[in-house]
Amino acid sequence: MVVPVPWWRHRRLLPWLIQGVAGLGLLVLTAAIVTNLVRNLSYAGMLLSWRWLGTPAGFDLGESLIPFDASKPYWLALVSGLLNTLRVVAAGLVGSTLVGTAVGVASFSSNILLQRLAGLYVALIRNSPLLMQLLFWYFIVFLSLPSDQAAIQLPGLVLSRSGLFLIQPHLHQGHWHAPLQLSIEFMALFTGLVIYSGAFIAEVVRGGIASVPQGQWEAARALGLQPAQILRTIVLPQALRVIVPGLNNQYISLAKNSSLALACGYSDLYSVAETSLNQTGRAVEVVLLVLGSYLLIDLLISAVMNSLNSFVQIKER
Amino acid sequence: MTIAHRPALISVRGVHKWYANGHHVLRGVDLDVEQAEVVVIMGPSGSGKSTLLRTFNGLEEIQQGRIVIDGIELGDDLRQIDAVRREVGMVFQQFNLFPHLSVLDNLTLAPVLVRGRRKHEVRQQALELLERVGIHEQAHKFPGQLSGGQQQRVAIARSLCMEPRILLFDEPTSALDPEMVQEVLQVMQGLARGGMTMVVVTHELRFARQVADRVVLMADGVVVEVAPPEQFFTSPQHPRSQQFLSQIS
Amino acid sequence: MRSPWRQLRRGLFANPLDGLITIALLILLGHAIWALVHWAVLQAQWTVIRANSTLLALGRYPEPERWRLWLVLALLCSASGLSWGLLRGPKWPRHDRVTATALSLLAGLVPLALDLEATVRWAWLALVALLLTWRWAAGHTRRALPPLMLRCWPLIWPLVYLLGMALIAGFPGLKPVPPTLWGGLLLTLVEACFAWLMCFPLGVLLALCRRSDLPLLRWGAVLYIELIRGAPLITLLFLGQNILGFVLPGGLSPDRVWRAAWVLTLFAAAYVAEAVRSGLASVPRGQIEAARALGLNPLQTQAKVVLPQALKVALPALVGQFITLFQDTTLLSLIGLMELLGTARSVLANPQFLGRNAEVYLVLAVLFWCCCTALALGSRALERRLRHEPSAIQP
Repeated sequence: MVVPVPWWRHRRLLPWLIQGVAGLGLLVLTAAIVTNLVRNLSYAGMLLSWRWLGTPAGFDLGESLIPFDASKPYWLALVSGLLNTLRVVAAGLVGSTLVGTAVGVASFSSNILLQRLAGLYVALIRNSPLLMQLLFWYFIVFLSLPSDQAAIQLPGLVLSRSGLFLIQPHLHQGHWHAPLQLSIEFMALFTGLVIYSGAFIAEVVRGGIASVPQGQWEAARALGLQPAQILRTIVLPQALRVIVPGLNNQYISLAKNSSLALACGYSDLYSVAETSLNQTGRAVEVVLLVLGSYLLIDLLISAVMNSLNSFVQIKER
Repeated sequence: MTIAHRPALISVRGVHKWYANGHHVLRGVDLDVEQAEVVVIMGPSGSGKSTLLRTFNGLEEIQQGRIVIDGIELGDDLRQIDAVRREVGMVFQQFNLFPHLSVLDNLTLAPVLVRGRRKHEVRQQALELLERVGIHEQAHKFPGQLSGGQQQRVAIARSLCMEPRILLFDEPTSALDPEMVQEVLQVMQGLARGGMTMVVVTHELRFARQVADRVVLMADGVVVEVAPPEQFFTSPQHPRSQQFLSQIS
Repeated sequence: MRSPWRQLRRGLFANPLDGLITIALLILLGHAIWALVHWAVLQAQWTVIRANSTLLALGRYPEPERWRLWLVLALLCSASGLSWGLLRGPKWPRHDRVTATALSLLAGLVPLALDLEATVRWAWLALVALLLTWRWAAGHTRRALPPLMLRCWPLIWPLVYLLGMALIAGFPGLKPVPPTLWGGLLLTLVEACFAWLMCFPLGVLLALCRRSDLPLLRWGAVLYIELIRGAPLITLLFLGQNILGFVLPGGLSPDRVWRAAWVLTLFAAAYVAEAVRSGLASVPRGQIEAARALGLNPLQTQAKVVLPQALKVALPALVGQFITLFQDTTLLSLIGLMELLGTARSVLANPQFLGRNAEVYLVLAVLFWCCCTALALGSRALERRLRHEPSAIQP
């Protein structure tokens, strides 16, 4: 006669019971949160609705790629903020990769001073909060730039407190203009993000190059190649296998860090969203939109990096 | 006058095991292991001998059949599985000593946690066991500081500290450098002489010849032949056994 | 034997390009350092720091209750000295002597530079003396302590935290000080310590769920971790400040300080989970099998066999997370909390100190950098210790 096994000792039943209890608990918690949310929102007359997006925003943006003013609707303001975010993130990804790669390679230089300086740069940047660095770039560096009258003029570009003017800058009524104009808010955020992420990317690149076995270097030297050639043709391609996944993390970090644009006065997605929420009180909708957008940006970056990853993986037997 | 027939310590009837991918690894195994018996299981790789061994202490589940260890049936009852694990010790191919604990702590961990014994009395027993396997001086060292042979002897002592009725050995010397195999086999030989019930999966022919009471050959998930070592090695009955012996000798 | 001069020449001037780079870098460096020193000594006005040092350190904590904060500091110094002594033992290697000297110099000179009162200056020196005394005492009595106590020493930190919080906030018998009055470095440390203590067990739990065989637990953990990791911290802080009021049952509205602390905790827990997860993955399957074969139940297996090994592997990543968390407290200034950075910005908004951005930010940056570097160095020392002795404390 087979004695039935009680449920609390049953090898197969017990896991499902645990999951059942956990699932029930989660369900109860979610139900409680949602009911509270709905009830409190309806008291405040703020049940989920999207119609407010069409009402005029009532605030101006510091800068915008698309034409915008206070009479335009909220959704346009948010789109403009999103475009600003994408703009600084795209530029930041390129800039930080260049800086990070340069510093990462420099840490293998034969020049000891260069090596040490690379290490110092990374140690300094990594152990300071990003927000402080952004404040430093904006308030101490970029806001101290000279006014338009005494602007710094270099071939092809002009730098003043009004911004960076590229491609044939010309003076008009005492103010500079150019086809490509970048505000100092953008410049401060861009510089801060590039310098910060550059340090982390330098570490990723350094780790990637260090992961290539010493034997590869030795064999290449034996073949008569110069250090720079070795790096370019033999070591870097192998290092990329390790570097690309690490870059993915840093790129997503940079995209998220761009949300600190508030500190630099740059009108990115988050700062626009914050203003919108303060004016309309539509907390749930705004937060959903913002979180959703950042998640999408992350997914986009991950998708691109993953396809790049499969490209650099060395085919093995 | 009748001699009471003692039931076998390990009783395996009609055991089948499938993996999730459909691989049928055990195809109807019947086996009995008596008390104080030393059974050596041999066979080509993929024959299911390690898997069968691991069903004896519940590390592998079976889909069909019956396994009874010391009167306790291995089924879905967690309490019974725990009871079996207390009585059955296992020595692994990769030793699996706990690297963050000293040798002594490796031995005393389970008796204290599982049998609820007091630490200082277990320490005494552990030191005696370490002396028995010849590693008394290493009691306060850590596994990373020992050689392979020493680690495996510690692993044997660790299983013995739980005072099991059966010891299972899953290719205990396969991961050892040749010069260290003998020291481990000697310990196992000592255990067999002391009357421990042992089931050993191994490729060591000389050990099987000298120590085993019965040799079991497994191939393709079934038991092909069971015989005492002299008979098995000199005149194997089954063509599969003959093929296996010719491959390894 | 190469002489140092030849080694230097080889390192800096090995070929013409290197030589050029070295010269260019030296010129740039020299110029930068000269400009910095020139500014710091001649142009900068450091009165802004002296005038606001108390505000930056304590916020608006009421004057008559400040003795409680000194008590908390004394507790912290004792706990640090105790931990240091237990880890290092009776000898004082070069590292320890350098640290001790550096601490004494800091405690002596910085209050002097900040022009603090004499009693305060002596108090700081007394605190460092307390720390070093505990270090010496713990190092010498380590052998005499029972092994159980040695295993449990990390538990003094949560204890110190609870005592400290009770002293800061006030318990029956002491006058309560509401969180709105906490500010500056005090608030930064309160937020960071709360998040440090709470995110660790949460993160470990999440990591265990992530690796569980039960699909509900596993996918639940994955969902949580990926959602948190995809969101910028500032948006989550924002969410915490604004939506929490809607989510909790009517009337319940915790102080903004605690809302932010919980958001920091839940945020960091996801990253801690990832670090612990890679540690768990590094423990070979055979360890679990051996433990189960010996009869240990799943809870005992995880607690005594798997987690100790996993946490050792995950330690560098974990400390990195703690350092990041400490730096992330600066974001609280963006949601209106007066921690260190927020207080600094309010000081700069004062017309009396307008334009003194550089001085204030430099001091803050140096402070953060020193704390984070100290944490990083400490973690590397702990790592080295764990690598050479598999169990942290030896009898």
